[in-house]
Amino acid sequence: MSKLEVKNLHVAVVDEDKGLQKEILKGVNLTMNTGEIHAIMGPNGTGKSTLSQAIMGNPAYKVTEGDVLLNGKSLLDLPVDERARAGLFLAMQYPAEIAGVTNVEFMRAAINARRADDDQIPVLEFMKFLDKNLDILDMTDDMVERYLNEGFSGGEKKRNEILQLMMIQPKFAILDEIDSGLDIDALKVVSKGVNSMRGAEFGSLIITHYQRLLNYIVPDTVHVMMDGRIVESGGPELAEKLEAEGYAGVRDDLGLDVKLTDEI
Amino acid sequence: METQAEIEFQSAVSAFSAAHNEPDWLRDLRLTMLAKYPALALPVFEKIKYQRWPLTDVHEPAVQDSSAIDLSSLDLDYAEAKNVLVTVGESVIATRLDPALAAQGVIFTDLFTAVREHPDLVQKYFMTTAIKPDANRLAAFNTAFVNGGAFLYVPKGVTVKDPIQGYYIQDSTRTQDFIQHVLVVAETNSQVTYSENYATVGEQANLANVIVEVVAADDAHVRFSAVDQLSKATTGYVSRQGNLANDAKLDWAVGMMNDGNVVVDFNTDLVGHGAHAEVKVVAVTTGEQLQGIDTRVTNLGQHTVGHILQHGVILESSALIFNGVGHIVKGARGSDAQQESRVLMLSTHARGDANPILLIDENDVTAGHAASVGRVNEEQMYYLMSRGIDKKRAERLVIRGFLGNVLTEIPTKRVRDQLTATIERKLENGQKSE
Ligand SMILES: Nc1ncnc2c1ncn2[C@@H]1O[C@H](COP(=O)(O)OP(=O)(O)OP(=O)(O)O)[C@@H](O)[C@H]1O
Ligand SMILES: [Mg+2]
Repeated sequence: MSKLEVKNLHVAVVDEDKGLQKEILKGVNLTMNTGEIHAIMGPNGTGKSTLSQAIMGNPAYKVTEGDVLLNGKSLLDLPVDERARAGLFLAMQYPAEIAGVTNVEFMRAAINARRADDDQIPVLEFMKFLDKNLDILDMTDDMVERYLNEGFSGGEKKRNEILQLMMIQPKFAILDEIDSGLDIDALKVVSKGVNSMRGAEFGSLIITHYQRLLNYIVPDTVHVMMDGRIVESGGPELAEKLEAEGYAGVRDDLGLDVKLTDEI
Repeated sequence: METQAEIEFQSAVSAFSAAHNEPDWLRDLRLTMLAKYPALALPVFEKIKYQRWPLTDVHEPAVQDSSAIDLSSLDLDYAEAKNVLVTVGESVIATRLDPALAAQGVIFTDLFTAVREHPDLVQKYFMTTAIKPDANRLAAFNTAFVNGGAFLYVPKGVTVKDPIQGYYIQDSTRTQDFIQHVLVVAETNSQVTYSENYATVGEQANLANVIVEVVAADDAHVRFSAVDQLSKATTGYVSRQGNLANDAKLDWAVGMMNDGNVVVDFNTDLVGHGAHAEVKVVAVTTGEQLQGIDTRVTNLGQHTVGHILQHGVILESSALIFNGVGHIVKGARGSDAQQESRVLMLSTHARGDANPILLIDENDVTAGHAASVGRVNEEQMYYLMSRGIDKKRAERLVIRGFLGNVLTEIPTKRVRDQLTATIERKLENGQKSE
């Protein structure tokens, strides 16, 4: 079993225009173990993606206080590739496109990066594993022969993130809005992919705006994030409450003084 | 009576020519150019300063045998090739041509053999069409001192399916000038795929002067690819010249992977109506080297099409200059000149330049250009690294992607793989110091 801990995390970004540092995360606490699925919900601009990027180690996000630990060891000094090899994975809200590098060679490079130089994955083994995962995700071979995310539709990109997840088999996967832009069939397929990963050695943190995803990937814990903090945690029923009452309801229940973007 | 002082190397050049049993016309041409070259101007290329390089510091010509040189460092792979020529210095170490092609009149042989066996045919095309011997100092120099090369001839209507492969190895285990001349002639309505490779064995500092002429007659189609890998100690002038008749097509794909200072004079004349050239160049520079690449296409005939695509990567303290020159002359109505030159800089000490130069003297044409000098995309790097790929490998992947649209154009898989491997090796070397 592995444990991922986020302790009193404060994160700031530098505003390019003003040259000022702006605090986004204001003390996030979160502990998860492999075998568990956690969901984070929260209004737009609240810092969910920021949390995921800070855990992963995106250099654009500066940790000003607090810590992120994997099995008791701080990750903060590690660059993103080392965090990935330590077992973290982030399915990004906006994956990059890279022309000239095929999807398949990229995935092989990612797998081999975790193996010794004299123990690279045999091509046949790789292809078999790939075919199996493509099958689960209802994806065609030509998707993997194409250049990485280049010209992929929004939904195809999301599916491709899950394919990578299944190929790489990380300990912890953060899925940032993996459901946005998916049609209902694709949502089921992507959920099937994530569920196929479930087990004692896999944990996931799912960021979503829609309770619907959580009908397919049933979480153990649901967190509500507002204004850079986790303000409430509970079981799957918390997501249903949010769906019914909106974030204003939760805020008012908790007596928080937070301005929501879409409030009139 | 006072005899006129002999021009330096005059008798040595004559003796060299005689030793190879060259026809008189070639000996005479050599001697004329020997007398002429010092006074001719060096070719001028925008922003490429190479004038002080030792490109004409020639040594006395002498026949030299390099057939015993160990080539294992190059890992050449031509065992499977049907049509191949391998030379080291002046020595020919392998030559093969499918007998079925030979029966159709195809010629592929080293230059010395060609001028002995087909003197008239070589004379008809040797520096008569694609470039003139006195075009500039370095062309005349090449003519006077040429000591290796090849002749490829594809007769009218003949289609050569299997690629023709030339390996020209510079022997730098000793002091020896490497002065090569390759002549490719594709007659009317013929088709051929030719790929060539220049590489160096040995550490000696030497000069290289390479001229390649491609003459494509009416409706001929030539696919030409090259990988140049001259050594760090080699200072080189590489000139590739194409001349296209009516509706001829020439696809160039060239990888400039040299390790030393090299100036490249790459020129294609679209002479005939409807002639079409696609020019693809990739270059990687490392160390302290400068590669200056001047790529020019001139639209002379009507409805001609010339496209230039150049992508290069600069590492360490090296410099890369891409000039893209598209010239449409008056009267070349309905012609098209497009070009794109992009340079990626991987270090803060690198210097790069991408110069689009469009010279349009006709109104009824289409033309366009794009050029950029930039750095590796951070977002792409982050994405790759977030999957566990280390920084250097991620960088190499992004670069390979960047060079990819040229790589995919290379017609034979073997050459493509070889160029990919060469790029990978050159990048790895260049990354060591970072
Ligand atoms: N790189 C950045 N530079 C400047 N500001 C940023 C940057 N990244 C995030 N922010 C700001 O931080 C705040 C939180 O953004 P974040 O993307 O984490 O929100 P989110 O909760 O994921 O929202 P959404 O639900 O819309 O995806 C926003 O105000 C956003 O504009
Ligand atoms: Mg977000």
